[in-house]
Amino acid sequence: MDVSAIDYYANHGVSFLHGARALSKIIFAGLVIASVVISNSFYLLLAVYFSLLTIVIWTRLPVLKIVTIAAYPAIFALIFAAASWNGSWVSAGVIVLKALCASLAMVILIVTTPYPDVFSSIEPVLPRIIREGLFLTYRSLFVLLELTDNLVKGLRVRGGLTHGRYIKNVVNFSSGIGLLLVRGLDLSEKFYGVLNVRGYSGRISGGGRHEKTGVNDFTAIVIGVLILGAALVIKKNGELSVYDGCMLALSLAALVLSTAYVVLPNTWGRAWKK
Amino acid sequence: MSHMHIPDGVLPVWIVTAGWIVTALLLAFCIKRVSSIELKRKVPLIGIISALMIVGMTLEIVPIAYHINLTVVAGIVLGPALAFISVFIVDLLISMFGHGGVTVVGLNTIIIGAEAVLGYYLFQLFKEVMGNKSMFWESSLAALLSLLLSTSIMLGVVYISQISPEKIESIGHLVSGTGSNTNGLRVLEDGINFSRFAKTVFILSPLGWILESVITGLVVKYVFRVRPDLILPERA
Repeated sequence: MDVSAIDYYANHGVSFLHGARALSKIIFAGLVIASVVISNSFYLLLAVYFSLLTIVIWTRLPVLKIVTIAAYPAIFALIFAAASWNGSWVSAGVIVLKALCASLAMVILIVTTPYPDVFSSIEPVLPRIIREGLFLTYRSLFVLLELTDNLVKGLRVRGGLTHGRYIKNVVNFSSGIGLLLVRGLDLSEKFYGVLNVRGYSGRISGGGRHEKTGVNDFTAIVIGVLILGAALVIKKNGELSVYDGCMLALSLAALVLSTAYVVLPNTWGRAWKK
Repeated sequence: MSHMHIPDGVLPVWIVTAGWIVTALLLAFCIKRVSSIELKRKVPLIGIISALMIVGMTLEIVPIAYHINLTVVAGIVLGPALAFISVFIVDLLISMFGHGGVTVVGLNTIIIGAEAVLGYYLFQLFKEVMGNKSMFWESSLAALLSLLLSTSIMLGVVYISQISPEKIESIGHLVSGTGSNTNGLRVLEDGINFSRFAKTVFILSPLGWILESVITGLVVKYVFRVRPDLILPERA
């Protein structure tokens, strides 16, 4: 998890999803996850994954980095797939694809939405202590990441992390975590004190970005509804499952065309655009 | 491995829903319990401990894909109620990175929350027995036993839910050419091999438990030396 990179993408992207409201993207992610929960069709899940990849491409963010972040749950999904192995790669593939699709939907949400916006959208349903905890955790995360970076550099420079001395390394690293806790706490207390002095009352402002619903919100929700609709239709009517292949072909075509149009602008993608 | 990295849509809806309901009830109980505590002092502590847990989870130990949780440190420093709230915050945030499904946040909170709560009570017990002179062993043992228990709870959840490929209707016959029904769908007949799954978990986990226990012990020992009031609030 590269939290700093995720935060950077969320705050500096310019895609249609970056322009949509946080609530619309939360609804989009919710619809995709609902479709993943109800769907057990390998081809449909693969089509959903390709569709999500197409969306990642349209965000114009580093695709490989985002796909890598979202691929982490696949490691654990593989353990479950192995445990339930019955000789068919399809059932194993379904478990892995469910992990990948749900994870990618959430990662799309967070790489296109600054955390304060996400928090302010879910604020009404959370008690104050959790709201404040979320906010301070988010803030502390960046403080800690910076401290961790300095700590690791310091340990290396002073020979605290050296190759071959694993026990000593663990002892030094653990003391480093303790130091992070103590220093991080001091900084967090000061930050919270300053917030209170400035009139902080537990309410998180979304920063006033994208207050009005627009075409970007509509697009995000429509994509989510289409994905859930396809999953529902195939779930309800098994005979339609023969169209899974068509959906897969369509999503693959969309992925290939989007890649050509967005990722390869200097080659034939550019020519097609003109 | 105590953390449930189960993807969305694999566990049955009833157990996921039950997980959310139980977590909501436990959270309500914890929030009521801490309502008398001065939040001005505790909220920054929740923030930093939660962030520390997330940072710990980003440090993956290759090749076993194990990461430290620091939940017992959270339990010892925050106390059981605040630690449970902190665990919920961590689970909610990391689910947004795709680290464990969003729908299993409730179950994850129960499992890891149990680890933190049990870690706190075991630490208090060992402290009573051994005194304040061996913080390393007290916290390490507390962490080791808590991890063992939380992994067992995780396995229990998997056993109860019987992650069920029986329900996976697929068009597998097109690929594997086995057992299809009239509408072209196939219902896979084999369920999860629970003993295989448990063996995998218990083979992969002990190395992680030992590592986490040692790190927990050393962190608590360090914090006790520098800020004893965080470990022993009565000294504050």
